[in-house]
Amino acid sequence: MATGESWRIRYLPPAISLIAGAALWQWVGSQTSAAFLSTFSATVARLVALTVSGEVVTALAESMTLFFTGLVIAILIAVPLGVMLARFRVLRVASETYIMMLYATPMAALIPFILSLMGFGFTPKVVVVVLFAMFPILYNTIEGARSVKPELIEVARSYRSSEWGLWRDVLIPYTLPFALTGIRQGIGRGLVGMIAAEFYLSASGIGRLITVSERDFDTAGVLASIIIISILGAALMAVGRRLENHFAAWRGLGR
Amino acid sequence: MSATTIVAPARPFAWLPTSNWTIKLIGGLVLATLWQVLVGAFLPAYVAKPLGIIAAIPTVVTNPLFLSAAWATLSAVVRGLAVAIVLGTFVGLALGRVKLVERAFGFYVSGLYAMPMVAVLPLVTLWFGYTGAARMATIIFAAFFSIAINVADGAKSVPPEHLEVARSYRAGWREIWFGVTLPAAMPYLLAGIRLAAGRALIAAIVAEFFISIEGLGFFILFNSRTFHHNEAFVAVLLLALFGVGVEAAMTWATRRFLPWYRREAKTD
Repeated sequence: MATGESWRIRYLPPAISLIAGAALWQWVGSQTSAAFLSTFSATVARLVALTVSGEVVTALAESMTLFFTGLVIAILIAVPLGVMLARFRVLRVASETYIMMLYATPMAALIPFILSLMGFGFTPKVVVVVLFAMFPILYNTIEGARSVKPELIEVARSYRSSEWGLWRDVLIPYTLPFALTGIRQGIGRGLVGMIAAEFYLSASGIGRLITVSERDFDTAGVLASIIIISILGAALMAVGRRLENHFAAWRGLGR
Repeated sequence: MSATTIVAPARPFAWLPTSNWTIKLIGGLVLATLWQVLVGAFLPAYVAKPLGIIAAIPTVVTNPLFLSAAWATLSAVVRGLAVAIVLGTFVGLALGRVKLVERAFGFYVSGLYAMPMVAVLPLVTLWFGYTGAARMATIIFAAFFSIAINVADGAKSVPPEHLEVARSYRAGWREIWFGVTLPAAMPYLLAGIRLAAGRALIAAIVAEFFISIEGLGFFILFNSRTFHHNEAFVAVLLLALFGVGVEAAMTWATRRFLPWYRREAKTD
């Protein structure tokens, strides 16, 4: 498949488009004040400078510690809870409406409450990331739970499966692909939560990098940080999608 | 083979009209009681509690400040969504139907979609100042990409036979785009709107925190700073109501206008 022809069709348009985009950016940037939009070259130079000075690494380390702490806690709460709701129908019926409401609630609205209750520090920021990331996971796990066929549980029971065996061989494998869809969504929302927490609670990581540059009208710094965040977001989303697709076959609708 | 008796509609609200109302009601009462008792026992008195929130509702919803804040935020979200839907549908159709457009611009769209939109706020305030225009720009930015991506997915999923038939009848590109592709991509558009509405709400609130302009986000910020948590929580309830309302409207619209879509398997 990788003949010269298909290679050209595949990579030429994006390459031309990227170069054209950079050239356009450079031109617009050079026509306007640096406080409005810095040029492409100035942004790249700033990106390199931030990387060489180690600021990017420090900021990324801070942000990623926050993000993964929050994401792992969200998964550890939401997945077991979701599977438990798969097992006990009454609990599921009693709670799913409220979970759905929380899923649709913009969690950003809770940030001021967390601020006035918990103040500044690492813990309130983790709470924000957990709140953002948890409900997509819980919601999707419950979607999976709702579709566990009662026949499967009945058959497992007829073969005298223990409760643990039922969880291990039926419930967890059945709900896992759904949970992973939720985790992929949770990654996206958790990143938003991470940045929001770094903006409004104690400034740290990439969020601080952006706000500090903004205060100095340093658009090169703002744009460089946004590029870093975009790469980070795209990479994390790609990992999430990979995981999801890997287990999607279990649903019987693999792609 | 016996037909399966299990209906598994993978959509929110699909279970609502069926039954189980008492279980849900009891579940809600238990959760509210737990909230009331636990917060009362362990947290400071100013923290929002269900009874306090219920008591605050009449004064808050008659407060003109709250009403104008609600109007400012929700009308901005609706207008921003409308702009994003129109633009996103066009861009999505172009991405899904024209190979060259997808090759040349697809990675921009998916890259910006994956970016946490809150991050552009500082840039947007540099460009638009600390004004409502900055909030509007953030809302559109947050909502646009989920619609464009979903419509593009939908446009790609059009059965090739439909396009072949359209072409053999010498349909022009306008008929192919808006007569064949768009109707087939409709469920994807509705899914995109549902996603976009959630993102637009978050964008509006976060923008109001950042810019400090009139709106529900600022109402919440102001009241929670002055320890009026119950009052602030009424605004959260309104935002939740709006989010749930959009979800319900999209589910209803999918069922009402696109009943054929329910046959297909889809996840998000």
